[in-house]
Amino acid sequence: MQLRLLLNLTSLLVFSNIAAAEPVPFDVPHMVEEARQAGVNHAYTGPWEFFVGGGVASFDCNGDRFPDLFLAGGKNPAQLFVNQSVAGGPLKFKQQALSLSQKHLTQVLGAYPVNFNNDDHTDVVVLRLGENLFLQGGPDCTFELANNGLGYDGGRDWSTAFAATWEADATYPTLAIGNYVDRSAPGTPWGTCAAGEFLRPSGTDTLRFDEPFLLEPSHCTLSMLFTDWNKSGQPALRVTNDRQYYRGGQEQLWRVDSNRPPRQFSSSQGWKRLRIWGMGIAEADLNQDGFPEYALSSMGDTMLQTLDPDADEDRPTYRDVAYENGVTAHRPYTGTDLKPSTGWHTQFADLNNDTRLDLFIAKGNVEAMPDFAAYDPDNLLLGGLDGSFTETGEEAGIALDTRGRGGAVVDLNADGMLDLVVVNRHTNTSVFRNQGARTDWGHRAMGNWLALELKIPKTNVNAVGARVSVKTGNVNQSRTVQIGGGHASGQLGFIHIGLGVAERASIRVQWPNGDWSHDYRVFANNFVQITKGQDEALYWYPRQH
Amino acid sequence: MKTVFSLMASAVTATFMSAALAESMLPWEDDGVLLGGTTAAPAGELSKEALDQLIEEGETLFVAKFNKREGAGRPGATQAIIPTKQRHLNDQQFARLAGPDAQACSSCHNDPVIGGAGDFVTNVFVSEGFANANFDTSDPQFSNERGTNHLLGAGLIELLAREMSAELVKIRNDALHKAATEGVAVKAPLVTKGVSFGSITALPDGLVDLRKIDGIDTDLVVRPFSQKGVMTSLRQFTVNAMNHHHGMQATERFGTRWTGEGDFDADGVINELSADNISALVAWQATLRVPLEKVPENAEWHAAATLGKEAFKSQGCADCHRTELPLTSLKFNDPGPFDVAGTLNSQQVEAPAVYDLALLEWTQQLPRNENGHVLVPLFGDLKRHTMTDRVNTLLGNELLSQRFVGRDVFMTSELWGIASTAPYGHRNDFTALDEIILAHGGDARTSRDAYAAATREDQIAIIAFLKTLVIE
Repeated sequence: MQLRLLLNLTSLLVFSNIAAAEPVPFDVPHMVEEARQAGVNHAYTGPWEFFVGGGVASFDCNGDRFPDLFLAGGKNPAQLFVNQSVAGGPLKFKQQALSLSQKHLTQVLGAYPVNFNNDDHTDVVVLRLGENLFLQGGPDCTFELANNGLGYDGGRDWSTAFAATWEADATYPTLAIGNYVDRSAPGTPWGTCAAGEFLRPSGTDTLRFDEPFLLEPSHCTLSMLFTDWNKSGQPALRVTNDRQYYRGGQEQLWRVDSNRPPRQFSSSQGWKRLRIWGMGIAEADLNQDGFPEYALSSMGDTMLQTLDPDADEDRPTYRDVAYENGVTAHRPYTGTDLKPSTGWHTQFADLNNDTRLDLFIAKGNVEAMPDFAAYDPDNLLLGGLDGSFTETGEEAGIALDTRGRGGAVVDLNADGMLDLVVVNRHTNTSVFRNQGARTDWGHRAMGNWLALELKIPKTNVNAVGARVSVKTGNVNQSRTVQIGGGHASGQLGFIHIGLGVAERASIRVQWPNGDWSHDYRVFANNFVQITKGQDEALYWYPRQH
Repeated sequence: MKTVFSLMASAVTATFMSAALAESMLPWEDDGVLLGGTTAAPAGELSKEALDQLIEEGETLFVAKFNKREGAGRPGATQAIIPTKQRHLNDQQFARLAGPDAQACSSCHNDPVIGGAGDFVTNVFVSEGFANANFDTSDPQFSNERGTNHLLGAGLIELLAREMSAELVKIRNDALHKAATEGVAVKAPLVTKGVSFGSITALPDGLVDLRKIDGIDTDLVVRPFSQKGVMTSLRQFTVNAMNHHHGMQATERFGTRWTGEGDFDADGVINELSADNISALVAWQATLRVPLEKVPENAEWHAAATLGKEAFKSQGCADCHRTELPLTSLKFNDPGPFDVAGTLNSQQVEAPAVYDLALLEWTQQLPRNENGHVLVPLFGDLKRHTMTDRVNTLLGNELLSQRFVGRDVFMTSELWGIASTAPYGHRNDFTALDEIILAHGGDARTSRDAYAAATREDQIAIIAFLKTLVIE
């Protein structure tokens, strides 16, 4: 079946001249950096092995539904910051000690939340230089090392990417871990990429990850994401790789069929060879055709991949539409340094609640690469009505002279406006509070919004793989619950949807098993919980004091 | 920071600009009022003089017959509340179903006074407006047909609704606090001003079970306007209606901030209605005097009405048609606190305008209770009720739900002014009070049956009482 994409793509194919961009008429969120006032003192440091990584896991570890932060530290210890903010208030965090050895707390590159044992507490997978850690969550943000119990030896690799999904009716998740350079191989680092691992849960009664399958070939992976690229309901594994070190490598997509090892899509199957300094993956269905687009951060151009007209349901052929849509973000948008940019964490989210997804890209020189921009501010590209994006990083207040790596776009103070965490190399982590649109008298609220929590009793409790469709008038928006992507950074929590001027919305959920729910009718500016099998949605109200 | 005085001055200037332009126009010029020229809405508490000027401007806009040069018509946009483009440009200036269907607000709201109700001929057709149906048909599968309500006393209605919403939100917050503190689920009755909206159950983790709420939306905002009770404020209704009925689009919803276009409806006119214009319209509506309970000069009528008022209560009519609700404050803030983006609200401005309705002569005539609260004689409860049942489906003619509210559920009609606003019912298709009373079903079944079973004298007495609720 030939995919009918041309019509849908017309909305994306809008020329956007980056250099001559007009001021956007829409609200630009004012992001105010307040990490130190909020109690977040943390930097990501370390030698060459920590030029990459620097992730943050954003999730609720104490049941109050406010997102807490687990920050990778590289040579510094990883730290957990428990969110003590109140609704709409200044950001406030308290560092809480982790009951891990000093050895395990250091050499951490990234972290992803995942509830791998389906209990009441979110777990965390910690990516390290050396043994990775599966931390089983407990009450009040306590964690216990679970590697042994899960039959997972943690490996000895330089791990830089992670993704998780629940296959078919599986009780437990299938995991993928991406590794970077094999430092022990002859000739390292050039052409010596370590293989990634694909971990299916073994057994049904007891969770074990003791039968890893090696993803060979691997090409120095820096981000991976399970994705339903062809609306088949079957996850595939999208992998972005760093051409800096691989030889003969490329971007990858692995087919993941139930009960079979993953198989890489080949050029004869329509996969086009693409070589980039792949750092991070963000997914969103920008043109609402049901087929996701992917933003890939890199050195120089950011890619925005959409299915090519030559694609079909078994033929994943993509083409780049970043230039047409104004998201190449290939060099700093401010300052005098015109050298190419270096992009890391990337994430789609609606930061101004206008119903259109925006794109955040963390930027920063690898260390002291002379051919790339030294002052390389993070990007905030606001989505426009015609599918194009406009850079607003400077106006928003995020154009700091830092070296960004991992990040999270997440509502930290439950006010319905997405805030921003950026883990920086050497300097303190940036924590930006979204205060709304600036005016000459202060800040005004932006568009309406919804925050949605999906629950499934007993299995896959966070509904990973579920697709949400939100309808307001003629506008449909979709979101997919995913664990993976970004740059060494993952998050679990409320799904944020901007509603613009809509006062109410109808929500339908396609649960991971493919079943569609009925309409849930909700009012704007609420936190909503939808539990599979329950007729009515519940509202959640964040603490005020 | 702008001072309140300077912001007030801008409103006054706008009014004078309108007057100045009108004076400079030749009598036969086919222009109307000055529109869209100012962008600053009034702010702070207005003096009586400033309020009077704003009201005057609002009345000018309410009776204005908007023409194409001013932006009337919306060839490129539908009547939808959320800005929605037509699939194909519609060059018809007027259309009965999808609108625009009137040249002025007062084209329909005119019986017996400007701002009043309208006869059957002024019925409007309510559809969500997302389907781009340009064909004209009143087939109920495409829209719900509704009568034109009067607007008198609308300011007090909105103030009552705001106070009720605030109290319900407080009940919810208190229940959440208690649940969190004590670690148990807390069931909280939602009762405000004596009206019950069911109950909620707050859970210790901040979740709220809303399954037992009654006659109100899940966000616990009392939406007092429209036959359905789905509109929050005069401001929201005004922005909706100006687009629907006239194709006059307010920048606060249809402007570049939300749509990226100054001329969203593609009629060649940009920024058709400024925030200031909408404020003026709101000010005029919010300050309309209330209808009266008139003491009949005819002694026989007076006696019957006195008996009828008691029967009205004893037969349960007043359970929903509450004879009065207490109002704490006469300060009307615009924009208000419960609107959301798309309608200007108090979070979107430096300071809302404050209209002190106590400055108006008619409010000084309103009775007060022992607490000094104004007793608003609305004969309503600002709550939605099911109006049909298995036996009586006369008010169940609609086929489409509206804004999440079921097809046979309607807001209790406020009966003040009912003697002056026939015909009756949400579709204006009942010609006499006796007919509409007997058409009640559902939640009103018991009181309707009591009326039906009453003696003819008692029935006449109730009608005699209702005939004292007049607009003068």
